[in-house]
Amino acid sequence: MNQKTTFRSGGFHVLSLITCMMFLCTSFSYSQIKGKVTDPNGDALIGVSVAIKGTTKGTQTDVSGNYSIDAANNTILVFSFVGYETKEAVVSGQKDINISLGLDDRLLNEIVVVGYGSQLKKSVTGAVQTIGAREIKDIPVSQIGQKLQGQLAGVQINQTTGKPGQGMNIRIRGQLSVSAGSDPLYVVDGFPITGNIGSLNPDEIEDISILKDASSTSLYGSRAANGVVLITTKRGKAGTNVSFSTFTGIQEVPVKGRIEMLNAEEFAQFKKDSYEDAKQPVPVEFQNPAQYRDKNNDWYDALLRKAPLQSYNLSVTNNTERSKTAIVVGVFDQQGVVLNNAYKRYSLRMNSEYKISNKVKMGFNVAPQLVYDNTPRTDGDRGTGILFNALHTWPVMPIRDANGELTLFNRFPASTGNIFAYANWVRAAEELVNETTNSNLISNAYMEYEPIKGLKLKSTFNVELARSKFFFFNPSTATSAINTPVPTTAVSIRQNVESMSWLNENLATYTKSINDHSFEILAGFSNQKFDLESTRIQADTYADDRLPTVQGAINVNRGGTNTGVQEWSLTSVLSRLTYNYKGKYLFTAAVRTDGSSRFGADNRWGTFPSFSAGWVLSDESFLKDIEQVSFAKVRASFGVIGNNNIGNYTSYALVNNTVNAVFGNTVAPGAIISTLSNSNLGWETTKQFDLGLDLGLFNDRITFIYDYYNKRTTNLLYSVQIAQESGFGNFNDNIGEIKFWGHEFSINTRNTTGKLKWSTNANISFNRNKVIALAEGIDRVYGTFHITKVGQPFGQFYGHISQGMYLNAEDLKNNPQVPGRSTVGSIKLTDQNGDGIITNGGDFDDRVIMGNPFPTFTYGITNNFSYGNWDANIIGSGSQGNQLLVRHIYSTANLDGVFNMVAGVKDRFRSPENPGKGMYGTTVGGGNVTGIERDWMNSRFVADASFFTIKNVTLGYTIPKANKVFKSARVYTSIQQLAVFTKYWGGPNPETSAQGDGNGDGGNLSPGIDLSNYPVPRTYTVGVNFNF
Amino acid sequence: MKKIIITTFLVAVAFTSCKEDFLTVIPETNLSSATFFKKEADFQQAVNAAYVPLRAIVNDRAYLLGEMHSDNTYYYRNILFGATEQQEDIADFAVPTANGVTSNTHVLNQYRLDFQIIARTNQILALIDDVEFGADSKNNLKGQAHFLRAYAYFELVRYFGKVPLHLVPVTVRQEAALPLATTDELYAQIIKDATAATTFLPLKSKQEAGRATSGAAKTLLANVYMVQKKWAEAETLLKDVVNSGEYALMPDYNDAFSTNTGNKNNKESVFEVQFLEGSAGLNGSFIYNFLPRPMSPDELRPIAGTSNPQPLTGEGNNAPTPDVIAAYETGDKRKDISIGYVTLSGSLRANKTFPYIKKFAKTHSLHGNTGTNWPIYRYSEVLLFLAEALMEQNKAADALVYLNQVRSRAGLPAATATAQTQLREIVYRDRRSELAFENKRWFDLVRTGRAIETITAYGNRIKANPVDYYYPEGATARGNAFTNISLLYGLPADEAALSPHF
Repeated sequence: MNQKTTFRSGGFHVLSLITCMMFLCTSFSYSQIKGKVTDPNGDALIGVSVAIKGTTKGTQTDVSGNYSIDAANNTILVFSFVGYETKEAVVSGQKDINISLGLDDRLLNEIVVVGYGSQLKKSVTGAVQTIGAREIKDIPVSQIGQKLQGQLAGVQINQTTGKPGQGMNIRIRGQLSVSAGSDPLYVVDGFPITGNIGSLNPDEIEDISILKDASSTSLYGSRAANGVVLITTKRGKAGTNVSFSTFTGIQEVPVKGRIEMLNAEEFAQFKKDSYEDAKQPVPVEFQNPAQYRDKNNDWYDALLRKAPLQSYNLSVTNNTERSKTAIVVGVFDQQGVVLNNAYKRYSLRMNSEYKISNKVKMGFNVAPQLVYDNTPRTDGDRGTGILFNALHTWPVMPIRDANGELTLFNRFPASTGNIFAYANWVRAAEELVNETTNSNLISNAYMEYEPIKGLKLKSTFNVELARSKFFFFNPSTATSAINTPVPTTAVSIRQNVESMSWLNENLATYTKSINDHSFEILAGFSNQKFDLESTRIQADTYADDRLPTVQGAINVNRGGTNTGVQEWSLTSVLSRLTYNYKGKYLFTAAVRTDGSSRFGADNRWGTFPSFSAGWVLSDESFLKDIEQVSFAKVRASFGVIGNNNIGNYTSYALVNNTVNAVFGNTVAPGAIISTLSNSNLGWETTKQFDLGLDLGLFNDRITFIYDYYNKRTTNLLYSVQIAQESGFGNFNDNIGEIKFWGHEFSINTRNTTGKLKWSTNANISFNRNKVIALAEGIDRVYGTFHITKVGQPFGQFYGHISQGMYLNAEDLKNNPQVPGRSTVGSIKLTDQNGDGIITNGGDFDDRVIMGNPFPTFTYGITNNFSYGNWDANIIGSGSQGNQLLVRHIYSTANLDGVFNMVAGVKDRFRSPENPGKGMYGTTVGGGNVTGIERDWMNSRFVADASFFTIKNVTLGYTIPKANKVFKSARVYTSIQQLAVFTKYWGGPNPETSAQGDGNGDGGNLSPGIDLSNYPVPRTYTVGVNFNF
Repeated sequence: MKKIIITTFLVAVAFTSCKEDFLTVIPETNLSSATFFKKEADFQQAVNAAYVPLRAIVNDRAYLLGEMHSDNTYYYRNILFGATEQQEDIADFAVPTANGVTSNTHVLNQYRLDFQIIARTNQILALIDDVEFGADSKNNLKGQAHFLRAYAYFELVRYFGKVPLHLVPVTVRQEAALPLATTDELYAQIIKDATAATTFLPLKSKQEAGRATSGAAKTLLANVYMVQKKWAEAETLLKDVVNSGEYALMPDYNDAFSTNTGNKNNKESVFEVQFLEGSAGLNGSFIYNFLPRPMSPDELRPIAGTSNPQPLTGEGNNAPTPDVIAAYETGDKRKDISIGYVTLSGSLRANKTFPYIKKFAKTHSLHGNTGTNWPIYRYSEVLLFLAEALMEQNKAADALVYLNQVRSRAGLPAATATAQTQLREIVYRDRRSELAFENKRWFDLVRTGRAIETITAYGNRIKANPVDYYYPEGATARGNAFTNISLLYGLPADEAALSPHF
């Protein structure tokens, strides 16, 4: 075998040599050929491969469709482009060769990447949406998720936080779960990855396929229920191409949309009024509010800055008869708009494929990556969220002292009602270290062997390595928590996590056509294993903040110091049959069987089948004659898929051996059974039906896609609450059923095709869900301020309905009250059960569903324009009918004056003569009175969060003449997050939602909570792309 | 080349051939039920863990349900601070209760903590006889488990009257909730467990300090009999404790209580909940819960003795009432040891001086973090129980012997009354003074049938003179104060929602 290999590689060298000689021989007679390649409408075709036949020499057309190439007389130029016919032109002394490429059986010969293979777009029977890198290239963001916002029907993508590199919440067809994960499965070059997709360099991506229905996802079996995102990275294209692209920009948080808080004078006035209204002496600090007139401290604004970002990408692709290579090197550097926030990514990808013989191909992809990020603790509530804390800090408290130094912390005397110590959040941003360094490597190796025509055997081995190094240091001079006085105890945390995931997959594909019958059979099996090891060391009490080593600490925190192991394994068998008759009657059946270590010992294997069929109506004689209809297909699918994101050890009963006792002054180790086991625990099952229509009208000038889906998710993983008289709080079980259904529409139109070219892509999706069942005996599950109840949509806001305030003594007398608490001017809630009193919780609860975090519909619209060398595009994304719970109001409208407050409290109830606007009640009576409107979540805090955001506007200019330095170049400028049109009043980002924070906010059962996360900045950029 | 392909396929097949092994991934950083409860050390750890809920009970809940829910203590009203109605409802006898169920969180947590002890001890008692190890050690462990289970059910039956009776570990979801057992059934089980504990457990001198002993078990059982008015049974057990020679009164009342690190499990201690100052989470903080507010660091420093006192804000609990202060006899040394005074410059009241519970407030080093133990049973209570049991059996002369040991230490003259009604009042009064703030008062009022009458009068005093009970001038008691004076707490609403049985 060695000899054979040597021979092959020798052969390869000989071939290269011959090619080289040909190149030399002919070089003297070269002349430059230029030209433009267009489609049948005269539109420039970008990226068309222009190659000299029989050589490795070639180029691509630029963004204006222009190319230039040095070619000798009597050579032949080959023009090829996916979806178009291939044309040849003989060079015979002419300087310009302009070519128009006809559509190759119209657009539908486009190849679409699907699970475990690719298909003609025309023949696809599932709901698959694809997007090419070119369509999203100008959006100056770090994450692919941001680029996809507004572009995909049925895929809701929200940017929940503005933290660089984080916070994209992607939900395909509204999928959700009570407690299992809802993120789609990301498959990069055939390898389901376990790491964070947000760190992938978007410039490495060639195209993306979103698999939405069960027939397209069922080959991913127990991991498919949340939908699958297939990412294909760059491959070598014809010839050798070198391109360099860069952009630089500046980001800022617009003032419009920020939460309006009381300023110092208004705050002092509020305090003065509230003491006077309560007939209490006014503390000296607030007797003269005017003294604070020019001494306002805007703590929120103090944390923000204008921040630059920049990106550089160099890509080299090469394609010869024997090998294809693509190399992408990227550097991305973003400062955050919050002080001291930095995000940097260095990435490299090398994809190569070698044709060893006519029957054997081998390929190797290696993609190392280093991501560094330091993010202050911006998000979360008052334990860690400095933005949240900044809103709460009394504006009379100085950010800087008389000498201009940052204050350490502020506290007014207790007599002023100041309960908490407010640390200086600017220090918290600047002095706390919260840095993560991730180094990842994704690699694939494969070999494909075609022993007989039509039969391909492919074996792949994929490895994903990830190493994450986290370092946190809280020096003694700062803190991110409210009510921690400074100097505080310095704390350091070091966490190292290393993981490896490997996948071996072995597939056989047989393709055969007999007369009008075509079929493809796929069969294969795979094994995947994931191992993670982590080490965490937490130390505190430092003698010197400059030395935050572990040994520099006086105390190692045992509770925060641990090692961890997480492992899972998955063994699978899969097969698929695809059949069509004359290309117009299409049928696919697929099945995957997964065995997973995560499932209980008595329920280890799951089988996930699917079926789909399609009918190309436009190939039938009755539609052939209708010229307006260029393409029409109906398709339907049904399948069963699973969600195995149930945790690695959830089926086991675990022993917690840190429940320690003390006897005398001696610690005695203690252990308890902390969870109950369930050997039948399994995956969540989703049965999905899809009906779709694909239409092309007027020679595909208008294309239209419609899908209806209906799915049922059963066996939801849920930690069912059980009576704690058992000693346990929960039992992990598969329970319940949720129904999802929806409609998705996408339309692409080419509106004008003359000198001004204008095309539009638009989509709109309607997603709905309803809880059909929970566990027996359980018809509802509560979140923090939420209820998930049988017969209702998931995760609804739950609370009291406010009717404003009790306006006077009579109003109070004539309406139900909270016994012992309601007074004139306090909040008037609705007595839902008519028992004459207002009750919060228990059997006589007056709470009801008061809002819905899910949108009525989501939509996106993209317009592309070009005029001569100019091009422009506008991307918009919107959501209608969704609400957010303005959770921070719970404290930023605390009428006891404990925190700073939203400006709206100026219009609170003062007296029957001065009743305010009905939003905020009286301050008199303290917590016994004010606590009702604050602590009993009510409808005043549910806000309409419908929005339409202009995500991106780009204007580009292509430099028309190639010169000696580059073949083509394009400069552009863009604005990201140009404008947010919304009535939302709770904060700057209507897309926000709290991430699960352990306080119940933002978990699966508690969606749609605004905790005042990191705002999404507006970004102005300029960029340039060169092709050499 | 074919060979490569074939080899690759063979390797891949080899991977799958050991499927079940490949798919069995056992947690590596936790022990699991499959590997635990196999040896003596496992049971030792399990028994240790069964004590743990007691810390949370006495630190966070029992003083609210058993002391502030009586005429001994009230709360320090802070009108600048809200959201404390959970505590206030308990102090104000206004716990919202409907259909025998309440949403009060302290009631809920007390219930759950007691059932944690029960579940942990059930686990031990169900499995310990399946594992062979030394009889002494096994008996000792079983005795501790029985003691703790009896103690937990004894708390529950006195708070709630009826609760579910769990005696074996729960393994499936459907077994989690059981029907309510009657008060009689619960007492029968408590007596059974406590009796078992008295036989399995060693004497205090033979036991590791801080763990349950036969003396503790006998005192617990006697306490049960006292509640049931089975005076003779109680007398026998209490005499056993007295005659065991294991216990004595500390000469100074102040020394009956542990300090931050010292004097723990002293000669007078029968059973106490153990705390340890430090960052390991084994500490208490109850003395902070018992301080008036707002308190500045300078005002706190002499009480806590820490180098970094922090201001205390919000609302304070367990404020000694004028009633309990007045209940001490003249010359009772226990008064100044039990109650101190502090002046709060930041108070909005005209009178800025407040009483606070001093007997537990020992100096320590870390703010909010104490190692002071909490007494459950002291020898002085054994003596008072014995005096009471004898008094109730008309053995006044015998009773005085034990009563006067306690009075003498308090610097009071010996009692001489022999008429039962007269002696009863003296015993009751001494119990109040001796055991003030040890979460005995509410149970004593209920046990002796005086709860409704006493609390009604007490409520009227508060409503008439709120300033005397630490309200700011001008403030009045809440409208619902003293509207729900009942002998039992409602069962917790959150548990009712999870149980089909109540």
